[in-house]
Amino acid sequence: MTELIRLENVSKCYSSGPNCDVFPLFSVNLELDQGSRMILLGKSGSGKSTFLNIVGGVDTPTSGRVFFNGTELTALSQADLANYRRKEVGFIFQSFNLFPTLTVGENVMLPLELVGTPNKEKAIELLDAVGLPDAWQKFPELLSGGEQQRVAIARALVKTPKLILADEPTGNLDQDTGNTILKLIDNVCSLNNATLIMVTHSQDALWIAPRHYRLRSGRLELETVIN
Amino acid sequence: MSFTTLLKFNFRYYKRHSLLALLCLMGISLGVGIVIAVELINVSALASFSSSIDFLSGKASHSVVSNYGRIDEEDFRSIWTDKSVAAASPVIDVMGTTVETGSDSIRFLGIDPFLDSSFRAWTPQGADDKSLLIFLSNPVPAVYLSEGLAKKHKLKTGDQLTVLKAGIEKKIKLIGMIDPSVSGSLTENIGVMDIAAAQELFGRTGRLDRIDLVINGDPEDLRNSLPQGLVLTDANSRKATLNSILYSFQLNLAAMSLLALFVGVFLIYNFSMFSVLSRREDMSLLLTIGSDRRSLIGAFIAESTLLGAAGSFIGVIFGYLVAYFSINMVSSTISQLYYQVNVGSVGLTFPIVLSGVAVGFVATLVGVILPSFEVAVTPPVIGIKRQSIEDRASSLKGWLLVLGAVFFILSAFCAWASRFSIFWGFTSAFGMTLAFALFTPYSLSIFTHHLGTFLKKTFNSLTGFLAARNVKASLSRTSIAVAALAVALSMTIGVDTMIYSFRTSVADWLDGSLQGDIYISPETTKWDHPLPEDLMEKFGSDPRVDWLEKYSTFDIYIDGRLAKLRVLESEILSGKARFNFIQGSQESWKELVKGAAFISESLGFRFGIKLGDTMKLPTPKGLIEFPVVAITRDYSSDQGTVQIDRNIYRKLWGDDRVQSIALFLRPGVSTEEVKSDIIAEFKGLERTVVSNTQMRDTVLGIFDKTFAPTATLKGVSLLVGLLGVATAMMAILMERSSDIKVLGYLGLNSGQLGRMNIYQGLIMGLFAFLIASLCGMALTYIIVHAINFRSFGWSIDIKLNPWVFFETLSLTMAACFASSLYPTFRLMRIKSAPALKEE
Ligand SMILES: Nc1ncnc2c1ncn2[C@@H]1O[C@H](COP(=O)(O)OP(=O)(O)OP(=O)(O)O)[C@@H](O)[C@H]1O
Ligand SMILES: [Mg+2]
Repeated sequence: MTELIRLENVSKCYSSGPNCDVFPLFSVNLELDQGSRMILLGKSGSGKSTFLNIVGGVDTPTSGRVFFNGTELTALSQADLANYRRKEVGFIFQSFNLFPTLTVGENVMLPLELVGTPNKEKAIELLDAVGLPDAWQKFPELLSGGEQQRVAIARALVKTPKLILADEPTGNLDQDTGNTILKLIDNVCSLNNATLIMVTHSQDALWIAPRHYRLRSGRLELETVIN
Repeated sequence: MSFTTLLKFNFRYYKRHSLLALLCLMGISLGVGIVIAVELINVSALASFSSSIDFLSGKASHSVVSNYGRIDEEDFRSIWTDKSVAAASPVIDVMGTTVETGSDSIRFLGIDPFLDSSFRAWTPQGADDKSLLIFLSNPVPAVYLSEGLAKKHKLKTGDQLTVLKAGIEKKIKLIGMIDPSVSGSLTENIGVMDIAAAQELFGRTGRLDRIDLVINGDPEDLRNSLPQGLVLTDANSRKATLNSILYSFQLNLAAMSLLALFVGVFLIYNFSMFSVLSRREDMSLLLTIGSDRRSLIGAFIAESTLLGAAGSFIGVIFGYLVAYFSINMVSSTISQLYYQVNVGSVGLTFPIVLSGVAVGFVATLVGVILPSFEVAVTPPVIGIKRQSIEDRASSLKGWLLVLGAVFFILSAFCAWASRFSIFWGFTSAFGMTLAFALFTPYSLSIFTHHLGTFLKKTFNSLTGFLAARNVKASLSRTSIAVAALAVALSMTIGVDTMIYSFRTSVADWLDGSLQGDIYISPETTKWDHPLPEDLMEKFGSDPRVDWLEKYSTFDIYIDGRLAKLRVLESEILSGKARFNFIQGSQESWKELVKGAAFISESLGFRFGIKLGDTMKLPTPKGLIEFPVVAITRDYSSDQGTVQIDRNIYRKLWGDDRVQSIALFLRPGVSTEEVKSDIIAEFKGLERTVVSNTQMRDTVLGIFDKTFAPTATLKGVSLLVGLLGVATAMMAILMERSSDIKVLGYLGLNSGQLGRMNIYQGLIMGLFAFLIASLCGMALTYIIVHAINFRSFGWSIDIKLNPWVFFETLSLTMAACFASSLYPTFRLMRIKSAPALKEE
């Protein structure tokens, strides 16, 4: 197993003055192998989204270092970070965040176009995989919440990212739809051997990853390991 | 929740969005400012000539003037002795310039000091016998001048002045000042001379310009007993005559200012809409925690009203400044085209301020009503998505298209109806502009959709694609900004195309009528200063000169309305000039010699005279009938021109004065050589002897100067339109910030985001330009056929100038680029911010 992600003493603080007011992350250490999965638990405001943003290269830690595949993210420029997100990371959000003016097809194609390889077959293949083979021409507003989330998953996975970051992907969905989505994420991750970090509040989602971590007062604690 | 609490709450908002509020404020002030400026200019011009008429009439209750431009001195006695006349004073009233006072023109009044003393306070009354004697009989004609003018040019009593009379210099002597306490608020420069000296000096021996009267009986008695061709008027009807001459000029100015205001309303609307939309969450929240809808809307309208008040206030000041700095230019244009006005100052009166403020308020209200309606109909649910508003806007666009089509048809109908009243011409222009503004949302939506796909497919430009789709996504916002910009641009294109076409037509007309090699045409021609006889004798017999052609233009009254009578020499012109005959032909020249008349289009239009009609012209021999044998295109005066042959004129009017001449040289003779001979022989003609091309350039120069104020108005409306684009881009930025952030998560770097944002501005500019090109051409058509023709009576051939389009496009693109810089700067500072707000 090769190591994909390593966090070394990562801290994040938000401050309005010289002192830290909020300390969502405090000296967090973590190693994740290629293809492994983890679930991140924690109360609201505990820093889960902050954690994902730092790992995903959207935000930078106040101190500490983050490595991806041996590259130190914390040393990269903004442009390189954008490039990193473009190539390696797939984000899935609680509120889908599809572009309302782009068709489903265009939404899914977008990441490929950003990389410069607009491969339509690949996009169609992914829409097939998430069970929406006929949605290509439709606009997102015509789809149900569950269907929109499937499109969002297709958009996150179309570029075959090594890392998938999901922030409460089932938070806005009913239980049945949520389960379908989870199975889908499970499937595509196995297919691509992608690493998954998923934030969830739902007990029904815990099966997707063997290791469950919890953020508490800025500390990352390993809570459960399922075999 | 109380109203004031809400208001306070709202002002918090303005603190955070001070830049936007500032832009909106500027929109109101610009619109109001232009309206105020135009009104001030109009009012000041009117006030100037009406105070001048009042002053010059003095205590006179009436005046006798001539329908054919001059009163025979012989007629004075019979009028003076009429039983209803209590007092009478003969007057020479002529404009002139002197070398010493440069470009300040002077109104010279020739009076009889004994007869005039009962009329005016400024006759050299108090003067002792000696100075009266000088006034009457100095070998060098004596003159009293306005004190202000003398001071300005550092002239002292005893100085000699050089009057430029038809380019010939004549000396006069300054013997005293007219006290400003006498001339009051009059801004015009006055010179008072003895009547005999003035007649001699200005070549009016044996004639009078006016006879001022105090009547104690029934004016009708006198009116009936007046000699042929003379009419009785009073100060008010003279004002009304001058006023009506300016009517079209002022109407056009006013229409331009309304268009500027139209764009201003768009901007206000844009801002209010934005301020409501971006506060929707706040408002829903306020409603949920118990404030009622009515006070919410009330607070919103109150806040807009305050903004309107502030904007109007600044607008009034701005307008005053614009008027203050442009009044000289406008009054010199009026003097050039119509008659002398000398506007000393612009006076901001309470009614004008009030009208400016009212205009600002109405504009603000119009701009605010729709957005408040939005608030009123939106259910108080927190988190109504922006998308649902866009959905509504999106479904609305079809209806707007239909409405636009209705306005288009109405506008076409109004253009047709302009034959009944010029009002419909302006309505048509407004309707057309509105129609295209209404077409904007639908066409913009389609355009951006295809443009996006095109940019991606053809140029492989993802940022271009996203930019196009973003514009489409915020249609409610962008289409308004694009429509506002398109309105401003179409006005620019329409007016510029009109001016270009007009200029081309004028140039063609000049080419056709200016065939001589050398023109001696003093600037004072318009003031009726005849050329010296010996000049014509000398060059008429010069072997180098093939033909010498004499021109004169006189003011005549046809049915009580002012028009121009042009006297020309048919035998020479028929073979040389290429008149643009609208009706009639080269053959018509033969009729002219026999006593027929050519009329200009504008005369035919104003007096409803058609080819084949006969018209009656006032002559010293009474009304004489002239058959109309041709209608020509002639842009020399919008009052209309009648052209008759010189032989006929000489016979009927008993007058052979010449104001300008054209020399046709023999082949091989050098124009420059003859020119310098004339100058050497006749001192003072340096600036007056011009070649054919110089003459043409001078006329076109006046043309260009006339349309110079248009450029200012154009610039302002363009500015207003561009402020709209900047506001819209800020709005998109705020409303779609979550979309923009998702793009950051997907790996768009800040450079790409910035480029995308700038493309948005450029796309809006490009589309506004496309709409404006179509609308502008439609407007040109309306301006030329339904406004210009209806107000001036002349036709223009429409010519498209690619340069106008190119210039407008590049200006727009540059300006859109500039107005997207600040929003882009703001956008790039957002970075890929960590907090992607969950909705
Ligand atoms: N830009 C910011 N400035 C200041 N404080 C911030 C900022 N972003 C987040 N925080 C604070 O950091 C803490 C962690 O926020 P974060 O969004 O990571 O929580 P979370 O665990 O994802 O919560 P939730 O489950 O509600 O999504 C919160 O207390 C939040 O208020
Ligand atoms: Mg979160």
